[in-house]
Amino acid sequence: MSDLPLALRLARRELRGGLKGFRVFLACLILGVAAIAGVGSFAAGITRALQEDARVLLGGDVELSFTHRAATPEQIEFMRGGGAVSTIAEMRAMARTENARALIELKSIDPAYPLLGEVRLAQGGALGEALARRDGVWGAAVERAALTRLGLSPGDEFAVGDATFAVRAILEREPDRTANVFTLGPRIMIALDALPDTGLLQPGSLVRYKYRVLLDNPAGAAAWTESVKTSFPDAGWRIRGLSEATPGVQRWIDRIAMFLTLVGLSALLVGGVGVANAVRGYLEGKTQTIAVLKCLGAPGRLVMRVYLIQVLALASLAIAVGLAIGALAPVAIGPLIADSLPVAARGGPYAGPLLIAAAFGYLTTLAFALWPVARAREIPAAALFRDLVAPVRRWPRRSAIAATAAAVLALAALAIATSIDRTLAAGFVVGAAATFALFYAAGGLVGWIAQRVSHIRYPGLRLALANMHRPGSPAPSVILSLGLGLTVMVVIAETQGNFMRTLREQIPAVAPSFFFIDIQPDQIAPFEALLRAAPGVEHVEKVPALRGRIMRIAGVPVEKAQIAPEARWTTGSDRGLTYAATPPPGTRLVAGEWWPADYRGEPLVSMDVQIARGMGLEIGDMLTVNVLGRDVDARIANLRAIDWTSLGINFVLVFSPGMLESAPHTFIATARVAETAEDAIEKAVSERFANVSTIRVKAALATVEETLDSIAVAARSTAAIALLAGGLVLAGALAASHRRRIYEAVVLKVLGATRREILTAFLIEFGLLGLAASAVAVAAGSLSSYILLTHYMRVEFQLMTGPVLATIGTAVVAVMALGLAGTWRALGQKAAPLLRHA
Amino acid sequence: MSKPDLPVVELDDVHLKLASAAGEVNILRGVDLRVARGETVAVVGPSGSGKSTMMMIVAGLERPTGGRVRVAGEDLSALDEDGLALFRRRNVGIVFQAFHLIATMTALENVAVPLEFAGDRDAFDRAREGLKAVGLGGRIGHYPGQLSGGEQQRVALARACAAEPALLLADEPTGNLDAATGSAIIDLMFELRRKRDATLLLITHDNELAARCDRIVRMLDGRIQPDTVLHPPSVQRA
Repeated sequence: MSDLPLALRLARRELRGGLKGFRVFLACLILGVAAIAGVGSFAAGITRALQEDARVLLGGDVELSFTHRAATPEQIEFMRGGGAVSTIAEMRAMARTENARALIELKSIDPAYPLLGEVRLAQGGALGEALARRDGVWGAAVERAALTRLGLSPGDEFAVGDATFAVRAILEREPDRTANVFTLGPRIMIALDALPDTGLLQPGSLVRYKYRVLLDNPAGAAAWTESVKTSFPDAGWRIRGLSEATPGVQRWIDRIAMFLTLVGLSALLVGGVGVANAVRGYLEGKTQTIAVLKCLGAPGRLVMRVYLIQVLALASLAIAVGLAIGALAPVAIGPLIADSLPVAARGGPYAGPLLIAAAFGYLTTLAFALWPVARAREIPAAALFRDLVAPVRRWPRRSAIAATAAAVLALAALAIATSIDRTLAAGFVVGAAATFALFYAAGGLVGWIAQRVSHIRYPGLRLALANMHRPGSPAPSVILSLGLGLTVMVVIAETQGNFMRTLREQIPAVAPSFFFIDIQPDQIAPFEALLRAAPGVEHVEKVPALRGRIMRIAGVPVEKAQIAPEARWTTGSDRGLTYAATPPPGTRLVAGEWWPADYRGEPLVSMDVQIARGMGLEIGDMLTVNVLGRDVDARIANLRAIDWTSLGINFVLVFSPGMLESAPHTFIATARVAETAEDAIEKAVSERFANVSTIRVKAALATVEETLDSIAVAARSTAAIALLAGGLVLAGALAASHRRRIYEAVVLKVLGATRREILTAFLIEFGLLGLAASAVAVAAGSLSSYILLTHYMRVEFQLMTGPVLATIGTAVVAVMALGLAGTWRALGQKAAPLLRHA
Repeated sequence: MSKPDLPVVELDDVHLKLASAAGEVNILRGVDLRVARGETVAVVGPSGSGKSTMMMIVAGLERPTGGRVRVAGEDLSALDEDGLALFRRRNVGIVFQAFHLIATMTALENVAVPLEFAGDRDAFDRAREGLKAVGLGGRIGHYPGQLSGGEQQRVALARACAAEPALLLADEPTGNLDAATGSAIIDLMFELRRKRDATLLLITHDNELAARCDRIVRMLDGRIQPDTVLHPPSVQRA
């Protein structure tokens, strides 16, 4: 027999009583679900836009690209057989005027560009016309940032390499520009025909040729790509289809969304404490009703159903509101960050992220509410006859414990299954569980300590301590809710702080001031001489460099190989390669031996240990790299540990001498220069070596810092939701003890306590609670941040005293303020009426 | 359900020990009681003598730690918690001193609940009849908070009798009411009992009320006193 309809009827009758006591419950769930749904919807909106605009962003149906060299006429002929072809060449270069120079991203385009979409120029007009040679001077379309950096106005001239260009248009938007983050300089667009005049096209110079093909038969893209591969098996080009139009942006969005989802989930978990408190409080008020129902013949199962239905009904309401808010995120947040993304988020709504958020909401509700509801089931009908002075600790029955455990496990499984980085998500789950356990234990410990020291003679302190350990004290709840929210905040503050410290202090302390790229072999000697002779130059390093693509890993083609996520970046596109007879300075070998300085045997390669592990490679395995269209097999001789934060010249792959020298290549040099000498060095190099690009590390770091800043803002905003949820739970827990506090204040006044004494006692209590919660939060948050930084992001950890003190201060003040807000009235209460009714 | 000639309540050497902070407390120390079908029995005795506990054991709300309990022909020790709930909805109606109506339900819904538990399709019609019978036909949509004490106890009475139980238990039903209201409630209770020929077990401190029953059972210190007053059932039932 199913008593579900009856349970529904009874639940509906009870709910008519209104939502009183459930405000915190609703607010906590709304916040958490809205955060998760919002992050998910926004990411989905971007993903949809990236997919819908993939052809425009890619610039065609298929893109074939080469580094260092252009396609052969046969290859171009083959492409033309497939459809319309547009050629562009991209490289970094220095733009100069009389007084200024700037690193720019140079893009040379053929007349067919763009095959799709439109280039937007500030004053309108046709791109081809703007770039054409007029009176012997080539035109250029430049971004505003370039004008500012070079001090140019429209019509002014500037030089790139050996050629002179006139600013003929201001570039506002390129249809195929996918990433505005992590670019080193502003864009300058010129005609492909103008590129040879710059003299920058030298053997080995770092230029990337891209051929976009707009297929006559777009549906046959896959087949056409296959035919390209079979016709030119050893071309060594990178082929991108629509699915790989924006892999970088997509990865970036996915990762940020993953982190923010975990932060949102933290908010939901913090809110879970509020859910549990609200349900427990509600059911405590229902003891009589439950006992009556049992007296009238309601089985325990029916009682449990009645209250579970009510909890789920309220949760559904909150989740629906949360989803509605979250679904609006693409529309609401989109405009705020439109400039940082190549596309605008499409509106949605998106079923996937909303379903996931709803599932998180329901599972959190069950994980936190099943326990108190199951305990209510055990309320004996005899409660009606007997006063409940000291409620017996009633453990729910085994099936209910199992159901709670199942909800918790399902929550963990969902968090891991829906994450793109399962290891990180699993770490989060373990961390969250440990943090819960920690704060639960801390709540108990504070009570225990308070009891131990409660014989202190100072009455205010004694009263405060007594309040922290008596039965029904809000202390455990306050510590749990506040502590969890604070922990999230500490993790973010510490992680961001350490990142910024690395960027601002640690990296500049060891990193070079300049990177110079595209130095021709015949320039390297005079280049070094120039640097060494210049004042203020402290340290110069140089290495040969060329680009190559990893083709096969231990004989397995890259696209079929199992590669760990942290190593995938090395296979997506070209990698820098170098060769060395002796270990580069600072090399730390972790396995294998370096080859003898006069080694001339089969090609050997030294590899970064993390990347090698990520690819499952061992010493002695073969790695195949395509260099300038030729596959080269090399045996792994040793593995190195690279400290990327040194920003030195670090190569994942260092080859033994004898193989790469013969290929056309250039040199990369770094120089550490006194700050005051930086401008002079940059000027001297660009005047003497027009083809050499100068990257100022400080400027590059500033760009990275800007990006990290905006990520941190997003993370902090989401974390603020966790803290807000913590605040709500805190307020709820304090409100629950409010009546008792008023009564207590009145009794104390009757016994002769002054208002000042009572106030002091409350202040001490709240202050101690805030202090205890924040102390544990700082410990737990710092530990999590330490693990995240050192094991996951490989950044050195240092305790950030500023944020930590700010956290503790804020917490203590917040608890005192919230606590007093509720208690202030208590102090003014007249004693008589309360005592009469008590 | 139960055979007419069998007692409705049979308690044999019933013991109840409860663990408390101060150690074990003997609440019941061997209670023997038989109540015949249709009999009305008053249980009297000082506070803490075990009256309410005995009633809880009869209602299947508390399990004895020793002895045998049969009510309406069912051996309560053989039933699990849900079995006891089913037993109550079939056989027992309870009236409390503090009424114990469900605050979120109207008078009608309160009376209908036991009928709904029993799966009665006409639950609300019968509940309406029940309320009419206690003189509250015009207040069926009121919530307990909108009713006076006497009215609330009438609703409780209607609820206890709604499923026509064989056994009616009342724990000081007039304790929270003034004398006039209390007396009206008692009249009503005895009348309802008579109409249904139900057995009544009534806890009271009121000697006059006790005297209206067929029999008075006196409890002291967890035992039934031997000087229990007996009235021949025929006297009251006539």
